[in-house]
Amino acid sequence: MQQTYIVDSANAPWKRGSTEGITFACQVLLSGEDGGPEALRFRFDDSPSVYGHMHLTSQFQLLLNGAMDFPRGVKHLEALAIHYTDHNMPYGPFAVSGGHDMLVLHPKAGGIIAMSNLDARRQIHLGGRIFAALAADSAWQPLPGVPDGSFKLLMPPDYGPAAVIVKAPAHASLAMPAAEFGRYEVVLAGSVIMEGKPIAAPGFRYVRGEQPADPLVTAEHGATVAFLSFDRDVLAGGITGEGLAVEAAEAMARAI
Amino acid sequence: METQSTAKTEAAAARFRVAVFADFVCPYSFLAVEQIDRLAGEYGVKPMWRPHWLHPDTPPEGCARERTPEADAKAERRNAWLKEMAPDQYARMHYPEKRQFSFLAFEALEFACDHGRDFAFKTAVYDLMWTEGHDIGEPETLMAAGERVGLDPAEMQIALHERLYAARALAAVNQARDIGITSTPTIFLGKTRINGWTYYEVMQQVMEKQGMHPREALAS
Repeated sequence: MQQTYIVDSANAPWKRGSTEGITFACQVLLSGEDGGPEALRFRFDDSPSVYGHMHLTSQFQLLLNGAMDFPRGVKHLEALAIHYTDHNMPYGPFAVSGGHDMLVLHPKAGGIIAMSNLDARRQIHLGGRIFAALAADSAWQPLPGVPDGSFKLLMPPDYGPAAVIVKAPAHASLAMPAAEFGRYEVVLAGSVIMEGKPIAAPGFRYVRGEQPADPLVTAEHGATVAFLSFDRDVLAGGITGEGLAVEAAEAMARAI
Repeated sequence: METQSTAKTEAAAARFRVAVFADFVCPYSFLAVEQIDRLAGEYGVKPMWRPHWLHPDTPPEGCARERTPEADAKAERRNAWLKEMAPDQYARMHYPEKRQFSFLAFEALEFACDHGRDFAFKTAVYDLMWTEGHDIGEPETLMAAGERVGLDPAEMQIALHERLYAARALAAVNQARDIGITSTPTIFLGKTRINGWTYYEVMQQVMEKQGMHPREALAS
């Protein structure tokens, strides 16, 4: 089954929310309630410590503005940056600052579980992957087949999940392979024509299926687009309606 | 039969390798001490505590911490994280005013190792530094730690003064570097390597996946 969702984030409503005392503004861009993807945009107020937590599905965080600091691994992220986690892979606590603005992108509803929950700690995915990178740390390379186009890889080529940023001039066709496990295609700058309508940053398309989706086409002034592809980790976890999943779904509903 | 089975279990625990590479001056390593001590008690394993020298540039007298707005913000974040990760331990912690010199403590750890008291000694050193506000760059602090765990402070004083364990401590530091240790703590539980502090429940799962079970569970 081919899935396609198009979201014009720039025109979605904002609301204020809080979780465990951490305050933020939030857009619910895709709810995941239909079994499809779940996408949220958060602008956390500056905080030295957002509590450690995990989601029950794979996740890309795309940091659009501001900074995030972590105690372990890649310790300092500044926009533009990505942060990937497998399902049930905890991260944090972390600090947010500098006008934080971030897309949280799931292939399906993932809920949220605070790591202060001792039962949840026994359900951590021991082999789970966690990866973070700053876009500024990767070099641009010429984009084959698109004159004046360029791209950069934000994750190692054989990692599994993939993150690629493509910059292309006006009216360029950005063909990508089929997204068997799902892919977010996020406009970072300029605009892209999606189903006849221009979508500006940080709007996106989510595609999943065995056939390649129609190529995105850059609009009049060109565009920069992040392609964030999941791998088979999406098949695990999720809101199953049992045990921890119920708790995770309820916690996410309370937060947003 | 029961005695035979218990003996087998204890032999398996003794063979199961647990090693922690850490620096006494690392607050996240301090958080790991209680976890590893608990692991040793619950599973009957004999963890080795090995040095990973975070700041070889620190002089023996230690060095003052940077006081800039950026450093203060960093300290605020770190304190908030420590409190979130281990609230009980955080409540007891006193963050030192200066960065302390840890190499002398590594030498003392080797001395304690030769006397079979290294595991208890490292806990005493962490406690003296992180909860009682002592400077581990001072031989007196290390001698006090040794005395708490049954080591002869006078003998340790000679060993530290004569630098009898300096070469061995340096070799241990180099070994950590050679095997690619970059995080402190780095914890080896059997075949599994854990980079950085983690939840105790993760350690339990790692142990159980390798066939190690808590002694209490086996007894019931």
